[in-house]
Amino acid sequence: MRKVYLDHSATTPIDSRVLEAMLPFLVEKFGNASSVHMFGQEARAAVDKARRQVASLIEARANEVVFTSGGTEANNLAIHGICEAATAHGRHIITSAIEHPSVRGVVDELEKHGWEVTRLPVYDDGIVRIEDVRAAIRPDTILISVMMANNEIGTIQPLAEIGALVREERERGHRHLWLHTDAVQAAGRLSIDVQTIGCDLLSLSAHKIYAPKGAGALFIRRGVRLTPQQVGGHQERERRAGTESVANIVAFGAAAELAQKELDERNKQTRLLRDRFEAEVESQINDIVCNGDREQRLPHLSNISFRFIEGEGLLIHLDMQGVAVSTGSACSSGTLEPSPVIRALGRNEELARGAIRFSFGKDNDNEDVDYAVAALSRAVESLRALSPLAREHVVLAEESVPSA
Amino acid sequence: MTHPLTQMVPTFGQMPYSDIFKDHIAYPRNAGELADADVIAEETNPVCGDRLRLSLRIRDHRIEEARFLAYGCPPTLACGSAIAEMIQGVTIDDAARLTKDQIAEAVGGLPSRKQHAASLAIETLQAALAKHASEDRG
Repeated sequence: MRKVYLDHSATTPIDSRVLEAMLPFLVEKFGNASSVHMFGQEARAAVDKARRQVASLIEARANEVVFTSGGTEANNLAIHGICEAATAHGRHIITSAIEHPSVRGVVDELEKHGWEVTRLPVYDDGIVRIEDVRAAIRPDTILISVMMANNEIGTIQPLAEIGALVREERERGHRHLWLHTDAVQAAGRLSIDVQTIGCDLLSLSAHKIYAPKGAGALFIRRGVRLTPQQVGGHQERERRAGTESVANIVAFGAAAELAQKELDERNKQTRLLRDRFEAEVESQINDIVCNGDREQRLPHLSNISFRFIEGEGLLIHLDMQGVAVSTGSACSSGTLEPSPVIRALGRNEELARGAIRFSFGKDNDNEDVDYAVAALSRAVESLRALSPLAREHVVLAEESVPSA
Repeated sequence: MTHPLTQMVPTFGQMPYSDIFKDHIAYPRNAGELADADVIAEETNPVCGDRLRLSLRIRDHRIEEARFLAYGCPPTLACGSAIAEMIQGVTIDDAARLTKDQIAEAVGGLPSRKQHAASLAIETLQAALAKHASEDRG
């Protein structure tokens, strides 16, 4: 059976060039980057090089990059770190309704501890409006955290506009206001320049850009002070204690360099695949709804709701045919948790439950797309044959046909 | 050689779907609706919205034919398929004695947080049998 991996927003396979770069640091170059001897210095030099490579991906300075264990830790460090450090200046946070759980969860937790939170709506296109951000800012707002691109529907948020707004606010005397963005999905797919955006904090993850799991980074603009969340060591200039995962960091650096170099080529290819996929799905399968703005979104991602059926069943059907995809909804203990992202678009529960994310990668090809579309078509047909919702729809449609 | 990242198995929590479970999803038993059903019952899980419909043809206190339709999470589809298969050809009394544990077992076991799917199957069957009994008496 052919295997087609269309879940690159969940994780990516390790690029062979990245693997080659990291392997020596799993074997002979095993030093602790904090050690003074030559083994340690070899590791230190490699971590420093990776820091420059990751900084270059986002046009930052190397000393503005703090390595973490991944995107979740970077988001935790950014939000908790700023909120703890800035408590005296205010306790209001602005975020969007469609953040990744690693931002949403941190903000929810802070709310339980007395912080006030404004969650910006995204409307049916999945995009935050700058007027809403402006209206939400209060004198006691200390942090705005809005993702650069959404992980489920790929919509790109107006970060540069938000950055400009934050600058304006500062010029008006609102000094204790910081901007954080979760760029985990955007990195390697959008050209990122922290100077243009004007953000103070930006989160990255290695395994979304063809490096292994276990490394991430937080960009912390020079001069921004935050409270470390992990203490007990001098690593990362006292901002994140713990021995650096040298091999993973080296891989992250190598992957960042490749992502920057191959950005246009990868985007061109995945966009062609994604567009071919959507055109085929639209011509072969009825009763579907595409989620998120069709233009202002990441080039590799497609999110589609299939009416009358539920996403997880579709996921299993596809998996049995060798096609790997994702769904944002989960049903457990008889309680339904339809994707909050799809719900935020104003979609009903049926559409939220029937949403599937297809995310293409640099190693996919046209045959993968055609195979996936054929598998999808069979899966949808099979599940709709079982669905009482589909039958009711057919009956209603037949009843509405005027008799001759 | 297949890439290790493509060898993914979807799980609910820690538990992978069993082969028999996936078989019910890929090849549902007795799917559809009987045109000449004696009784049709549909139950909905009020919390998650999962739906199961059973249509039965009953002759001489025996379920001659059973069909199911389902909307919802995979366990609901698998349990619908399993129950429609299990009750076909059995007497009403035997069908009435089926338990949710037997349904869960028939799909290769369900973790505790997915047990509601087996409950929905049993509730729908009980509703169909109760409806048939009252129509019979009427």
